[in-house]
Amino acid sequence: MIFMKMTSTTKTAVVATLALALLAVFCPAVLHAEPPVTSSTVQLNVAGAGPRSVEDLTEHTIARDYDAAWKSMAQAFAQGSAAPLSAYFTGSAKTALAKAVKSQQQSGLRSQYTNQSHKLRAIFYAPEGDAMELQDTAEFDFQLMDGDKVVHQEHTVLHYVVLMTPSSDRWMVRRLESVPGVGEKEVSSAQP
Amino acid sequence: MWSSINTASMRHSSRLFAFGICFLFLAQLCFGQELRTPATATAGTSISLATAGTGSATLYLVGPSSALKKTVQLGEDVTLPAESVRSAGRYLAVLCSGSCESASFFVTAAAPAELSFLVHPSRVPVDRQNAISGAAFIFDKFGNLVFSPLTVNFQLLSGKSEITSREVPAHDGIAWFRANSGKQTGPVRVVASTGGHSTDQVVAQVASDPCNLRIDAQSTAKNIVVQTQPVRDCSGNPVPDGTIVTFTRRGPDGLSTVDAPIKKGIARAEMTPSGPAVVTAASGVVMGNEIHVGH
Repeated sequence: MIFMKMTSTTKTAVVATLALALLAVFCPAVLHAEPPVTSSTVQLNVAGAGPRSVEDLTEHTIARDYDAAWKSMAQAFAQGSAAPLSAYFTGSAKTALAKAVKSQQQSGLRSQYTNQSHKLRAIFYAPEGDAMELQDTAEFDFQLMDGDKVVHQEHTVLHYVVLMTPSSDRWMVRRLESVPGVGEKEVSSAQP
Repeated sequence: MWSSINTASMRHSSRLFAFGICFLFLAQLCFGQELRTPATATAGTSISLATAGTGSATLYLVGPSSALKKTVQLGEDVTLPAESVRSAGRYLAVLCSGSCESASFFVTAAAPAELSFLVHPSRVPVDRQNAISGAAFIFDKFGNLVFSPLTVNFQLLSGKSEITSREVPAHDGIAWFRANSGKQTGPVRVVASTGGHSTDQVVAQVASDPCNLRIDAQSTAKNIVVQTQPVRDCSGNPVPDGTIVTFTRRGPDGLSTVDAPIKKGIARAEMTPSGPAVVTAASGVVMGNEIHVGH
């Protein structure tokens, strides 16, 4: 009844406010300039690691730090800045990813890795505990954007071979290499 | 009546749908772009991406350490220089002209060119089981892990003579070994080699714990001087100077000990006499003989 008595300008303002409120509730990402928060899960299996058996604390730390590494990588690509890589990447992995981030930024591109899940399997743990090699079956949503235009998006399952080495208080990713794997599946779509 | 109208309407819709599919197919054939990538490629070698269609399009290529965006002419091959595919891993190519089409391919490591070699420990006692261990990581010249089946040869060399050698197949770019330490002190070169490339690390072999510790005693006017015979490990290597030998005297006045470092292979201590006593010596977990003094 009150709505009927309003002028058309007031009605438009009310509708716009309601629309914005609904948008804020149901689609908060649209109203934020920040890249979407990347959630991820990491499952680590150390049963096949050798020659050294993986200590409980190391197992926990590896899963935690690998998860953090992927989050920092997603952040670096989303923001177009290599700075987040320094915390969990070192050596050639850090160099390669930093180059990728820089060249994407120079080309006006942006990548987003979201909804990650990782099934990690430790396959080698050095006799003195100073290096670990793992295989990761990673599943995530990937988007490639040119400016604000999405040129490619896919939900993909990729296999990675990962080399991690300990630093003072964490395990760092020293090498992260995607490899062709059995059962790789890929569903891609493009939005011009 | 209704059923005949519905059937006619459905036939019409089906025809429209079939026509639409054919139109889209022909449109894609005549005006659309197509992208073909190599199944696999080797790091550091240039590759070609084949395109089909007419007009220009934008090509995006995202790799493990690179990204590029360039305008290409459809129908022409796009050559990517060797420098842009140095990193092994998955590359995603996206070609956009009106709509976008994507294809991915994997770049694998080039031939082995470098070994990263971790060896432990840097100092090891002689004649210890599985005391030396090492892991070799095989990389190509661009720093990619080489996953192809390779064998790594590990050698332990003392001077020019070989202590031990073994061939180990690499798995996922890594080969590792464990070995006993040799019987003589001195530097040991641990060499890892594969495909004509090798790298080495040096491990210092040091004398092990003393073995057969024997002591003698001599009485002087004021003191009793006890000293060891030259202290050696069980392989006959002189134990390094500075190793502590503990002399213990057990007499009527109780127990007294003296710690003495080995100097020039011998440890020596002076003890005050106070009646008959038994003197022993120990170093690490090794006990020496007992001698009776003052009897």
